Amino acid sequence: MLGKLLKHEFRATGRILLPIYGAVIALAALANVSIRLLDRELSPILRFLFVLVLVCFVLGMILAGVMTAWMMIKRFYTNLLKDEGYLMHTLPVSVHALVWSKMIAALCWFVMTFLVVWLSIGLTVLIQNNTNLGELLAELPSWHEIRQVLREMGIRGGDITLLLGETAMAILLGGVMTCLHFYAAMSLGHMFSENKLLLSVVFFVLISIMFSFFTTGYGFYIHWDSLDSAETVAGGIRVVQGFIGKALLMEGIQAAVLYLATVLGLKKGLNLA
Amino acid sequence: MAIMECAALTKRFGAVKALDGVSLAVQPGRVVGLLGPNGSGKTTLIKLANGLLTPTGGELKIMGMKPGSETKALVSYLPDKEYLPEWMNAKQLMDFYGDFYSDFDRERAREMLARLGVDEKRRFKQLSKGTREKVQLILVMSRQAKLYLLDEPIGGVDPATRDFILDTIIRNYNPEAAVVISTHLIADVEQVLDDVIFVREGHVLLQSTVDEIRAREGKSVDQYFREVFKC
Repeated sequence: MLGKLLKHEFRATGRILLPIYGAVIALAALANVSIRLLDRELSPILRFLFVLVLVCFVLGMILAGVMTAWMMIKRFYTNLLKDEGYLMHTLPVSVHALVWSKMIAALCWFVMTFLVVWLSIGLTVLIQNNTNLGELLAELPSWHEIRQVLREMGIRGGDITLLLGETAMAILLGGVMTCLHFYAAMSLGHMFSENKLLLSVVFFVLISIMFSFFTTGYGFYIHWDSLDSAETVAGGIRVVQGFIGKALLMEGIQAAVLYLATVLGLKKGLNLA
Repeated sequence: MAIMECAALTKRFGAVKALDGVSLAVQPGRVVGLLGPNGSGKTTLIKLANGLLTPTGGELKIMGMKPGSETKALVSYLPDKEYLPEWMNAKQLMDFYGDFYSDFDRERAREMLARLGVDEKRRFKQLSKGTREKVQLILVMSRQAKLYLLDEPIGGVDPATRDFILDTIIRNYNPEAAVVISTHLIADVEQVLDDVIFVREGHVLLQSTVDEIRAREGKSVDQYFREVFKC
């Protein structure tokens, strides 16, 4: 059933976000042309128009980011906690599937927005008359050369793979935590009969305060001086790996607490108006 | 075996008792009127049966199971408000119901929508209020469910729509299933009811067949209801 929920979730969100992506990419193409033409002698009106295109392009990218975050919040709120909740919570699916479908779709859209923004920037900046993409790429060091340099510094390939893996996990967990922070706050706030939105904001702030204590505690727990005492770059990387590992553990615990609060709020405290 | 059964079912919202020790049973093949004034606990009972609320005490079972994913596959529910996503059209709504309910009869839904003249590609929010209510009912009644829980299906609609709704309910429900219609507009639904349950301030005052009431009291259910709930 999770697959079916995801299908409908992507359908509901895609109808808003895909046109925005299309507009951003179209604006990127226009911005590319504008940048080329701004080098020439132009009338003030044309110059103003080309600058306006660039401003619209930047605003478009900001809009894409804001709308992705807004959709993450709005879909959970309207689809599970408002009138549409009567439809969603009477489907023969578990609360877990409902929460996961919202979260997976939101994370996918965050990744998509990131890719679209970078693609647009690439389209605008890189492919200019005076930029030869082929030459630019040829100037980048090959993987073989990178490995050679790393080996000389005493860094093993496994260390880098682990570091990259940990970083990717940290980013993913960060996204999961962001979603669950909003979900848990809304889920707990809507257990009450009145002032549901206000209480959701209160829960959001309370969770933020509670987790800031965790983060501060984590800061004390880490021996930052061990980084100074690392004698080689490879040693430093291993110390950083340790830091990220502990941060992942902490993020994992926080995410589990938020997930539990979200599910319990929806299972035991659901109180649709 | 009763399709829906409650034993000493209680639901509190803070200090307010919405349901207080309710015990009742709904048998298959019956059309049951859950009757009571506004605020008597009808919607709370229906929400509990759908797993939208958790009981404070007592027990509610659907086909012997506590409300959960399994019972939701057996229950077809019409809430007392517009609950379908406004941006969807009738075709997308049928896709949605078909995806999640294996008992959804798409052909039957299409037939009823066509009879109603609903364009499948028109968005839900572009339809008139009456048509939106009809579309909701058509989707709910196009399932071959074991239990239909219809919360105020005729509240706030014109007489012609009322007739359409009652006709749709009677023509389409699975004969082995039970239908529970919650309402305070008794005169309009009386003709289709087999049994009635009177609810007041969270208590069940009476559970009886319509024929028994007519024979015992010598009056219609509507007249008897007015007498019992006289202010």
